[in-house]
Amino acid sequence: MSTASLPPLEPQTTATEPGAPLVELYVWELPIRLAHWGIVFSIVVLSVTGYYMHAPFLISHARTDYRMGTMRFVHLLAAWIFLGSLLLRLYWFFMGNRFAHLRAFLPHTHRQKESLTGMATYYALFRPEPYHQAGHNTLAAVAYLLMYMLMGIECLTGFALYSEVLGNRALSFFVGWLPRLVDVQHLRMGHYFLMYVFLAFLIHHVYSALLVAYEERNGLMESIFSGYKFVTPKLAREEAIEGEEQRFGKKEKPRP
Amino acid sequence: MIRVTYSTCTRYPNFTIISERSAMDDSGKSVVACLRKHGVSRRQFLEFAGLMTATLALPPHYQAQILHALEQKKKPILVWLEFQDCAGNTEAMLRSSHPTVADVVLDVLSWEYHETIMAGAGHQAEAALARVIREEKGKYMCIVEGAIPTADGGVYCTIGGRTALDIAREVCGSALATISVGACAWDGGLVKSYPNPTGAVGTQEAVPGVKVVNLPGCPHHPANTAAVLVHYLTFGEMPALDSYNRPLFAYGKIIHDQCERRAHYDAGRFTEEWGDEGHRKGYCLYKMGCKGPEANYNCPTVRYNDATSWPVKAGHGCIACASPRFWDTMSPFYKRLPNVAGFGVDVPVGKIGVAVIGAVAAATAVHLAAVTVKGHAHHDPSEEDKTLVPPSHSIKRED
Repeated sequence: MSTASLPPLEPQTTATEPGAPLVELYVWELPIRLAHWGIVFSIVVLSVTGYYMHAPFLISHARTDYRMGTMRFVHLLAAWIFLGSLLLRLYWFFMGNRFAHLRAFLPHTHRQKESLTGMATYYALFRPEPYHQAGHNTLAAVAYLLMYMLMGIECLTGFALYSEVLGNRALSFFVGWLPRLVDVQHLRMGHYFLMYVFLAFLIHHVYSALLVAYEERNGLMESIFSGYKFVTPKLAREEAIEGEEQRFGKKEKPRP
Repeated sequence: MIRVTYSTCTRYPNFTIISERSAMDDSGKSVVACLRKHGVSRRQFLEFAGLMTATLALPPHYQAQILHALEQKKKPILVWLEFQDCAGNTEAMLRSSHPTVADVVLDVLSWEYHETIMAGAGHQAEAALARVIREEKGKYMCIVEGAIPTADGGVYCTIGGRTALDIAREVCGSALATISVGACAWDGGLVKSYPNPTGAVGTQEAVPGVKVVNLPGCPHHPANTAAVLVHYLTFGEMPALDSYNRPLFAYGKIIHDQCERRAHYDAGRFTEEWGDEGHRKGYCLYKMGCKGPEANYNCPTVRYNDATSWPVKAGHGCIACASPRFWDTMSPFYKRLPNVAGFGVDVPVGKIGVAVIGAVAAATAVHLAAVTVKGHAHHDPSEEDKTLVPPSHSIKRED
């Protein structure tokens, strides 16, 4: 892999000098961070209110309460935030930088396949350290893509159930076909069960993020707030090469 | 003649109401003339028109239009077919003690054929049906009650030696309009529910190509059925239908939105056990598995037994009897969610969900323990280039 024609990296270093300063790399753009926290916030709110709607655990006896009404209102409000966050994330699959782009989620390059097996063997404790990538490692990316799909299903089933209640034509236009395909009760069951899947994923997600952050010491946890990761010059260089390749094609084919 | 039916309850073929109000000699007269002849007063007739206006959710001034139409129009001819049914829809129509609906509907229409209540029997009865099909082709209304079996050539329900499928295709095929009443005629209902040994289907599926107005419910509400007929007589067309071909006036709203216990639901006041304090106080039946939030019907407003009551008012949750394939999809009737296939009846989906979370949490704990025991991978930065991939620990920390 020739790097001769690449622009010099900032700061200019040779790759593997011990003690070389870490390079600040902007990985997560603002829409990604917004979408992430929007999803986190809405899932927490939706889980609490949704569970109450499934099995009202607080029984009111007062005359003035409006507890279920409030729960449903908050659930619907959070649902719109959830949908908005998902749509933003979907948009950024196509408009985002290469770490957020859909390409990063579909394992097709050699490096991605290496990352996939590398991370799998790392989690199985056969490999001492994670595979290093500035963005998502490919195993995580595939898992996230699956989770996004499940979130999409959650949204779809939720709004399908809502449209049954609302009877709104515009909403029914988008989701009205679903209750014809799967009966309402099983939609409701699926909608409820996915909550548990998301909560289970939450445990795994936070654990694996903490674990990899501890191994890599690259500011992974902070990056979802700030957007920046701190990587070795060598990794930064690799990422830059990959970025160049994605933008201009492989180096084997000389550019005019 | 012997009727062979798979699932019907007992029929009482020959004693009847219709013999007195004989349809034959009235045909050709106006509705009002017949009503007067049969002792329905003007006042009762006005009441009926008012009820129909309200059921159709029309503004009050339409009452005059309905009255006018019923006074002018000739009695439409009607045949009522019964297939795999319990005659519950017939019962619902006949058992109204209040005179307005049943009497008026029975008199508004010229009933030429109805197995349960007609006077004729055997070949006479079948001849009456054949005459209608022959002479009134494209001019009569057809009401279907009960599912139609299709398995094994439809042998599980035959009348006069002909299969239900055969009869339905002929009678519905040459009718002006077909109305399916009850869950069974709509989508197979109880008969089609798992495992459906007779291959039963609803009218729409059995007679493709015929536009059917569906009036599901177990049983149908006679006021709705009457309202559809009155709508047709008044406006010359069927009422607006939803995507299941159910009239919107009756199936356009969910039960939950019309329920008198709704305020308890919104407030968070729930019955938690049959007969508990909440149940006695009339709290919401949501936790007892009431399917009101997912069922469309006007049951809470038209009500049964002459608008006396309906299930939720009587203290029992809704079972969504007007919803698609409700025996299969809405059961268990006393639980919020269906059983999970393959897990038996005692394992609710929530338990499976908790198990999933538990499994992930346990796996995480085990992995954390393993990682801790194995220790953190420390690298000699000078080894970096020999590794397959660039590790990140290339910084010498101050400590």
